Order: sequence, then structure tokens, then C-alpha cells
Amino acid sequence: MYSRLLARLLGWTLRLDVAINRVYPEDFNPLYYTGGLANLFLTVLVLSGIFLFLYYVPSFNDAYTSVQFITATVPYGVIIRGIHRYAADGFMIAILLHFFRNWFTDRFRFSRDEPWISGMMLLLFSGFLGVSGYVLVWDTRSQLLVSMTAHTLGAMPVIGGYLESMFIGSAGVSNLLLPRLLYLHAGLATFLYIMLWWHYVRIRHPKVWPPAVWTLFSLGLILLLTGLLPAVSQPTARPESTPGTLAVDWLFLLPYVGLKVLSPLVLAALAVVIVVYGLYIPYQLPETPAAMGIRDSGVAQVIDANCTGCELCYYDCPYNAIVMTPSPHPGVTKAAQARKLFAIVLESRCVECGICVGACPFEALELPRLLESDIQQKVVQACRS
Amino acid sequence: MSDPQAKYGSWIVLLSLVSLAAVVAIAWGEYSGHRLLAGGSVGVILLAYSFILLFLRKGGFTGV
Amino acid sequence: MPELTAPRIVGFLCDFAVDASALTAPDGTMREAPNVTLIKVPCSGFVRPTWLEFALRNGAAGAFVCGCPLGDCFNRLGNNLIGDRVTQLRRRFERQKIHPDRIAAIYFGLHDQAGFVASVKAFSEHVAGLPGPVVPAPRTAGGASVARAAGTAGAGGPAGRPAAGQQEITAPEGARPASAGARPAADAAPSQATDGTAGAPGA
Repeated sequence: MYSRLLARLLGWTLRLDVAINRVYPEDFNPLYYTGGLANLFLTVLVLSGIFLFLYYVPSFNDAYTSVQFITATVPYGVIIRGIHRYAADGFMIAILLHFFRNWFTDRFRFSRDEPWISGMMLLLFSGFLGVSGYVLVWDTRSQLLVSMTAHTLGAMPVIGGYLESMFIGSAGVSNLLLPRLLYLHAGLATFLYIMLWWHYVRIRHPKVWPPAVWTLFSLGLILLLTGLLPAVSQPTARPESTPGTLAVDWLFLLPYVGLKVLSPLVLAALAVVIVVYGLYIPYQLPETPAAMGIRDSGVAQVIDANCTGCELCYYDCPYNAIVMTPSPHPGVTKAAQARKLFAIVLESRCVECGICVGACPFEALELPRLLESDIQQKVVQACRS
Repeated sequence: MSDPQAKYGSWIVLLSLVSLAAVVAIAWGEYSGHRLLAGGSVGVILLAYSFILLFLRKGGFTGV
Repeated sequence: MPELTAPRIVGFLCDFAVDASALTAPDGTMREAPNVTLIKVPCSGFVRPTWLEFALRNGAAGAFVCGCPLGDCFNRLGNNLIGDRVTQLRRRFERQKIHPDRIAAIYFGLHDQAGFVASVKAFSEHVAGLPGPVVPAPRTAGGASVARAAGTAGAGGPAGRPAAGQQEITAPEGARPASAGARPAADAAPSQATDGTAGAPGA
């Protein structure tokens, strides 16, 4: 049932592609560059975030006024604050598009499970970043978010009290909260880059930036939104009163909306289930082309006699599954005898796509159950019929 | 001038004029201290540029 | 056999591009274009450019590779790579006097059967209209007088026939002196040029 549902979602996703490709040329289709778009927004966030960090004061008395100072007095502060806010929304939208698209088009198969796992972590941490960002402003919304979070953490069985005091910093909300959250915010942003390294490490030539059309469009959109709807704080936080309503940013604050209808424990359990399932997604379906019933060609094999160490396969393998090592002995063919390097296929990373076979000019790579002679036989047969 | 060129060409000219107006808005916004107007106009220019690039490709002026 | 209708076309189709299962007959030919045979490969990037040349030298009038839409290769890079390789091969063909339009790289997604069929048909018609033999006759090595003698003697022999079913080759205008070069690919069966000419100047 799951695979049928997934097949239908795949169909809709690809039909959406066809529709978009009628408007935009293929190499401008934004859905092919969702990762790059997310990275673009992240860059904007980090640069504007550094600017904001230079003026922000993480203390109860001064946090709100420092943010107002940035907005009203610091030159271009209102612009930087606005693009920080809208780039965060853009970042989340891009990540969600990236997540759903890669889920529905099976881009987590074979050895792409590590980008998937690191991507789930990135999604979670981005959520935390957004919430902590809203708290740092220290307006009424922040106050409500803190009390709701503390209440939820405190509702956990056994460790609830410990979690709550770790979050707040002491028995009640005190001046220790905001520096903690600033560290969470800026530190997590740095940690995102470590996760991104893990996200890219199995991928060759990752598409890190979107095409120029979409870079211009995204930057232009967030600047225009900043001009039209500047980011403003809610009224300042007052510790003596608890605010009742929350101005919701649906992209980041959805779980808090959930707290209106669900009890904290149920919400936390639901979150855990969703995250664990998300991490399990790559392992739910068959993981090799053979198990998928598509074909069983076997992992790529290097033919020792012919390999000249030219590195073309190494540069072309999309999954970094080929490494070059110093040649242990010379090859057999004339070109291979002079080799310094030798290609080795890391079988755990090989997805049997055969791109290395197409890249090799020396016939030194083959898929064991789909040889060049098999292909040539099929071609001759096709030409004879 | 072939048909797609004419169609997209006129859009490109229109967007260029919009960009020019936005430049004026930036200058005026900066001069008079309306930073939001200036920032928003930079946004308008970038959006206009993104569509100019798209129409250049679709009109066949640039491209693979 | 006249080349004006239904030239034999060989197409390499990757497993994740357009779903052609409904479009192909059991023997691999396309229902809407019976002159086209599809060979399934794991990725468009798997295709070695030499196989396209092999197809042309073994009786096909045209060969193409179909991969996923550019930017959306299931294996990330395959379609861009095969696109680059086909472009390179076309340039090489120009030097070898094989018409570069006989090969192509096309890109269609899983549900885009209509686009795929239309593109294949257009390719087939275009190839049908291309002039001359698919691959030129293999040259003989040696100096001019030797070549002219060998050429006239060999024109009717096995050296003059590039492939079964192709047209007889007539000597081109102002027959150039043969030079020791431009040997066809070693794995093309029919091109049995006169022995011992490989790289041997002035034999």
C-alpha cells in the first residue's frame, strides 16, 4: 500500500515537473534545485544573522530594546532584520520542497541513505533554529513560546523536570534563558554546516547553488517583502503577565499550534514517531536495483589489465564510489603498463548505474552481468531485424 | 524579428523600464531616508532581472 | 534498400527515464515506430559513445540515447555526462565524415511518453533525409598510385562494402590519394580493409 501511494505521489510530482517545464526551460526548473535554493537562503540567513548578532543583547531588560535599536536606528538594520526573517521562511519552504521531492522521487535509494539521514537532522535543527529565533526577540510571542516549551518539556515522564530546567536555566524563567538560546541559535547554525558536510560527502558535484534566475528571484522576493511587510516585534514581554494569543508563523510554529488541541505528552510522542519514521524511510523499501526488480547487473568491476589510471571514472561517479590508489602493479595493455594510479570501486557505495563504464575510454570497467559484448549483441540483433 | 522574439522582446523592454524606475526609487528612497522603499526597490530590480533572464532564454536571445 | 523510408534506428533508454513499457513490442521495437529498437540500460550515462558508433557501423542509420530530463537524472549526473559525450562524439564524427545528426541525446521524464514518441519520430524522419552512406568507405593506406590502383581494384571487393544492406559506394569526385589514417573502429566487422595497412605508410 505504501509503495502504491508513493507511486501515485511520484506521478503527481513528475507531472508537476512537466507542467513547470512548459513555462521554464528545463535547466531553470526550480524543483531540480531545491537543495541549492535552501543553501542560498541559508547563506543569506548566516550573513544577516552575523550582522544582527553584532547588535543583539541577550538579556531580559535589553533584548527587546536592542532589537528595536537594530530596526529603528542601525543603518539598514530594518532591511537586514527583514531579510533574515523572510529568508528563514524561504529556507523552510525550500527544505520542505527538497524533502518531499526527494522522498516522492526515490532519491534516497541505494547509497543515498546518508544524505537522507543527515537531511532529516538538518530539517529538525532548522526547526529549532526558527523557534529559538522567535524567542530571541523577547516579545509576547517569545514569552508564550518559552512557557509552552517549558510546559511541554516538563510534562515528559521521569526526565521532565530536568529537561525543563536545562532549557530555562533555573527553576523559573531567569536571565539565563536568553544567552542559552542565543548559543542554541548561533551554535546550531554553525553545526548545520557540519551536517551539510555529511549531507554532501557521498555526492559528487552537489548542486549547491540554484540557477541565476532563481537566485535573483529569491533575493528580490525577500527584499521586496521586507519593503512591503517589514518584520516587527510583538509588544514587549512582560514577565508578570502571560499572554494568551500567539501570532503564528505556520512554517516554524506549527507544533505550538498543535499544543492547543493535543496534550504535551501526545505531541511529543507524535513528534518522536514522525522523526523516527522519517529516518526509517530509506530502509523501508528495497535497496538495490536487483531487489527493486529493475535489473541485476552487479556492482562495477575494474578490469586490472586495461586500467590506465586516467581518473575519468573517478571524476564521473555520482556517488564517490571510485577511488584512485597508487598502482600495485603495471597493467597488461601498453597504456596500462605506464600507469601510476589504479581505480578501485567501493562496492558498498556502488549503485550499479554504470556511469563509470560510459566514462572509461579504455574498456577497463564493466558491469558483470551487463557486459559490452551483451550490448553489442543487442545492437547487432536490433540492426538485423 | 520572429514571433517569440517580438513577444518576449517587448516584455524585456518593459521590465527594463520598470528596473529603471526602481533605480530612481532607490535613489529617492536613500535621499529621503525611506530605507524600506529603497530596500523594496532593490527587490523589485532583482525580480525584474530574474524575469529578464528568463525571457531572454525563452525568446531565443540567449541559450544553449 | 532505399534509405528514404524507415531507416533502422537504435535507441538506448535508461531505466528511470520515460516509461516505454507500453510503447514497445515484445521484440523491443517501438509500436509507433517499428524501425526503432530500444535497448534498456541502467543509466543514460552507462552508454559508451563507441556503442553509438558501433550501431552506425553495423547497419543502423541513426542511434540515440534517452535519459531523464536535464537536472533530474535519477543518478544525478548521468544525463549531463552522456549529453557531453554525445556532443564530443558528434564533433569526432564530423572529422570522420559521418553525419553528426545521426546520433542524438534526448531527455524525457517518466510520464512524458507523448514527448518521447514525437521526438523519436522527428529524429527518425531527420535521419531518413540525411544524404549518403552512413559511414564512409574505409581508406586504404599507401601512396597515390598504389591507392588508385588498389582503390579501383578493391571498389567491387569486400573492402568497398561497409555494411550489408547499404548502398554501393561510388568513388568520390576527384579521388583523393589515400593516407594511412582514419582506420575504422576495430570492432566493426565489415570493414575488412586490405591487410597490413594499419599505420603502415607507403606500403
